[in-house]
Amino acid sequence: MSKILRTKLLLPVAIVGAVGLTLTACSPGGETPTDPTGNDFSGQTLEVAAAWSGDEQANFEAVLDVFEAATGATVNYTSFGDQAATTLGTQIAGGNPPNVALLAQPALLQQLASDGNLVALNDATKAVVSANYAQSWIDLGSADGTLYGVWFKGANKSTMWYNADIYDGAGASVPTDWDDFLAQLRIVADSGYAGISIGADVGWPLTDWFENVYLRTAGGDMYDQLTNHEIPWTDPSVTEALEVLATLWGTDLVQAGAAQRTFPETVTEVFGANPQAGTVYEGDFVAGVITGDGNSTVGENALFYDFPSINGSAPAVVGAGDVAVAFVDDEATHALMEFLASPEAAEVWVPLGGLTSPNQGVNTALYPDDISRQIAEALAGAETFRFDMSDLTPSAFGGTTGQGFWQLMIEFLQNPSDIAGIQQKLEDAAVASY
Amino acid sequence: MSADLSIVRGKQTLGQRILGFFSRSVVNIILIVVAIFWLIPSVGLFLSSLRTVGDSSSSGWWTIFLEPTRITLENYANLLSNPTITGSFWNTIVIAVPTTILVVLIGSLAGYAFAWMEFPGRDWLLIAVIVLLAVPIQVALIPLAQMFGAIGIFGSVLGVILFHIAFGLPFAIFLMRNFFMQIPSELLEAARLDGASDLRIFFTVVLPLGLPAVASLAIFQFLWTWNDMLVALLFSNSQSQPLTVAIQSQLRQFGANIDVLSTGAFISMIIPLIVFFAFQRYFVQALLAGSQR
Amino acid sequence: MTQTVVTPAARETGRGDADRLSRRSRRRAILIALAFLAPALVILGALVVYPIVYTLVRSLFDASGSTFVGPENYIEMFRRESTFTAIRNNVIWVIVAPVACTVLGLVFAVLMDKIRWSTAFKLIIFMPMAISMLAAGVIFRMMFQESPQLGVVNAGVVAVHDIFVDEAAYPGANIRPDSGFAKISGAIVSDDAVNDGSTVDVPLIGIRADSLPDDVVNAQTAAPARAGEITGTVWLDFVRGGGGVNGVIDSSEAGLEGIRVEAVDNAGNVVASATTDAEGRYTITDLEPGEYVIALPPSNFDQGYQGVSWLGEAFITGVIILSYVWIWAGFAMIMIASGLSAIDRSLQEAARMDGANEWQVFRRITAPLLSPVIVVVFVTLIINVLKIFDLVYVIPPGVSKPAANVIAVEMWTVSFGGGNDQGLGSALALLLLLLVLPSMIINVRRFREERSR
Repeated sequence: MSKILRTKLLLPVAIVGAVGLTLTACSPGGETPTDPTGNDFSGQTLEVAAAWSGDEQANFEAVLDVFEAATGATVNYTSFGDQAATTLGTQIAGGNPPNVALLAQPALLQQLASDGNLVALNDATKAVVSANYAQSWIDLGSADGTLYGVWFKGANKSTMWYNADIYDGAGASVPTDWDDFLAQLRIVADSGYAGISIGADVGWPLTDWFENVYLRTAGGDMYDQLTNHEIPWTDPSVTEALEVLATLWGTDLVQAGAAQRTFPETVTEVFGANPQAGTVYEGDFVAGVITGDGNSTVGENALFYDFPSINGSAPAVVGAGDVAVAFVDDEATHALMEFLASPEAAEVWVPLGGLTSPNQGVNTALYPDDISRQIAEALAGAETFRFDMSDLTPSAFGGTTGQGFWQLMIEFLQNPSDIAGIQQKLEDAAVASY
Repeated sequence: MSADLSIVRGKQTLGQRILGFFSRSVVNIILIVVAIFWLIPSVGLFLSSLRTVGDSSSSGWWTIFLEPTRITLENYANLLSNPTITGSFWNTIVIAVPTTILVVLIGSLAGYAFAWMEFPGRDWLLIAVIVLLAVPIQVALIPLAQMFGAIGIFGSVLGVILFHIAFGLPFAIFLMRNFFMQIPSELLEAARLDGASDLRIFFTVVLPLGLPAVASLAIFQFLWTWNDMLVALLFSNSQSQPLTVAIQSQLRQFGANIDVLSTGAFISMIIPLIVFFAFQRYFVQALLAGSQR
Repeated sequence: MTQTVVTPAARETGRGDADRLSRRSRRRAILIALAFLAPALVILGALVVYPIVYTLVRSLFDASGSTFVGPENYIEMFRRESTFTAIRNNVIWVIVAPVACTVLGLVFAVLMDKIRWSTAFKLIIFMPMAISMLAAGVIFRMMFQESPQLGVVNAGVVAVHDIFVDEAAYPGANIRPDSGFAKISGAIVSDDAVNDGSTVDVPLIGIRADSLPDDVVNAQTAAPARAGEITGTVWLDFVRGGGGVNGVIDSSEAGLEGIRVEAVDNAGNVVASATTDAEGRYTITDLEPGEYVIALPPSNFDQGYQGVSWLGEAFITGVIILSYVWIWAGFAMIMIASGLSAIDRSLQEAARMDGANEWQVFRRITAPLLSPVIVVVFVTLIINVLKIFDLVYVIPPGVSKPAANVIAVEMWTVSFGGGNDQGLGSALALLLLLLVLPSMIINVRRFREERSR
């Protein structure tokens, strides 16, 4: 149900600090590059906004508490759900954006930067970022060569979650590649459970499927070209990826009734009280959904393996994340950005669970369990890492409920035989949006 | 009114009385069936609020009767122990009460003018007001954000209230105008001949006679403001977030949220239902007044 | 009415004076009217009309808002198929929902007067209005979910259906692919016909270990068939971990007891049948010499009736309209009830005394007196339905979202939902305003009639 919720009109929230804007630099202290504790921002209020709610919000607030304790500033957090663009757009129009927002879509960062709404990182923060982040994350946080963003949170979207009880009962094992993956799903299906549960209520999990397959069949360079629409969606490489997908989608390995199933429901079908399927694909956040449902235990019967290799492809990860950007140019805001870029900030949240940090300075021993450590290491260790394509494309194409990439992948799941037709529709939608 | 009925009944023949009994039973049965069907979704939502999210995702809410031991108040405890939720109650009242009072007042004044005053272009102006009913709230978000930002009320409760008043007025004017049309013109003429000013007539004759409409308008305006998310969330600030925002901030990004939503729905329903019962009295009063006239 | 407010004193003065006086009093009356209207007009002008003007201007610019494109957005709007789906759905909505809500509200309000528990009834019908749209959408989506385990409507449908149909022994079981059988409308049927005297083994899969009986035994090869017989074994062709040889009865594989096996002749008639024993063996006897197809009828595997796909493309708009009626009938009822309570009851009582029946009282007296309120309710609902948004946004699953689309949702999707093309979104918003006009023009005439009364 959550995607509905994410989608809904829960429009959310805002931010907006009444006081935040009026801040003027009043800090006497000098800055130390990796530690903001040298600053005193007592009496200042910073507004921070992100999509996080619930536990993630509580954990992020714990991070902000450390900053508050060190600087004396007050930091208010608000959640805008999945309506980042609307909320921030309204607040910018009203002249009252938050000091810092965390965005899930690099495309939004690009747009806000080109509209002149973002404040570039200062030299101190830049130094912290380049010391701690891989070049691919730095590039993702930049627009036109200027660094605006700090990737505070990462996500590994190449994880295949399976119910170990069902796999054991069927005698299925962790697959070695795509063909073996289909064979293991067949074993699970023969044992009376559906091989895999897929939800087509919204399109984003389906675009993630495509991206993982395409990254493996076509490689990183083609992936980048397709992302930028330098090659058309009618390209043979897309045909190949869709053909691979069609070896699974539309077969009886997929649990019946995919059309109306939401993403959380697919997790329940595999890890709920009465499981009906053996496997579910999505990113590392599946662990949180399993824990929230409470019927299975991550690390015991809820385990994952990497998205299978196709035709001998090297380990590849499709990732996502949340990037912090600043809207206000004052010392307190810069200090907060610098803090968020430091390993110390991430290390507050990492032991609490639910954060995969792209920050290389973070001590991986702090991850609370083996599963989250494996996820983080897979993210860091991938030979090929690419950001979620649908978040990089114009959002009219890659990020809109009911149209474009999302809706067409739903259509493809319904009818996987019409590959040429779906390619043409994807191309048409892309042409209209770029 | 009951007195009137008993008089009427006294004059009925036995046959008429039996007929009346059956027709009343038929009405009772029909309305009981309607009430049951109408209750199903609310009951489903309520029972869902008494279950853990894991239970809700694996079986339907009606199975709660099979395992009554699994009923839990945990969802309510979670939400009510959250200081942002409890604190936001007051914020919601601060937004909803002034909005309701001002919409009723301004709308009634204009409604009276449209109903009983003569001025050029009146009908067309009224139609223009009604057409404004059709303006989707979404089109006003950006222009009003800019305007409120320019005059410095963006992010304040005042901005939220103004927004709600503006979008509540077309309906209020339309309703009050049509309701005031029903007032017998002799009553107004009599008041005028007594030399009462329009303002005095409005407050002493028109408004009291329109009390049932005022009550229903107030209920619905309060309800709409109370349940609004879009406006309050975009136009208020983090210090004065209303209940709807506080509940939304408890939603999980990827999980099922039926526990939070159902519990939140019933918590946030309390005040509107109190308001409903409070105004319920005015319906009854007006009804008695009507029969005594 | 105000224009007739001419004091008796004025009437007695001379003609010129009367003209001057009435002109002055008319100007005065207009000023008073303006004073009454001023607060409303100022707020509406600044906060509602201004956004319309802004929208009008914005609709002539492109997505970025910096380039003037003239009518391009309007042309683009009508180039999109989704716009027409949205208009079509809006028309369905406008025809069905306001009438349904108003009629129900009227019936409830009138009947409510006749019961002792009217306050409770009013509360029950009113309550949906007090539930947030989001929660209401979620509960309707839950109720109409396809799975009978989760959706109460399908649970009811299936429960009724199951009264008439027995439960199958091995629901959901399937045939091992490429084993010479096919699944035809629920039955497992051999591809080729065989002569009597043959042995036909049937490998099944897809049966969970925990749904086998506790005393399950390993499958055994059936005895060779004699003339006039067909024998064979129906077994679970599955070894944990996918071992064994598919289509061959391996030593550890379970026999399936109690499966009905039929012999079907060329004409398609079932001529004989048998049921498998604990080892999965069956023997069909008393066959005339000839060729027969072996079939396992659906009753062995029937997963039961799975209910109706309410949230599919066919029914989705109906379900959303139902949820709307559930919420808004309470609005119509409360409004009409408040209108009723303001009516002078003596007229109705008088009519009853004169021997009028309830229907006549309603039609001749109550309904005409109520009409101003009914008009408010009906017109408000029409307009409200035209800009229906939240329920359509929340209820449909992704597959049926395009089928359920309405203009307000399309506008939101285009301008905020990711597209961020507020130029096109503004054009859609103005289309919405235009669609209101027909119902308004009908009402203009109504207003005039009321006036002339």
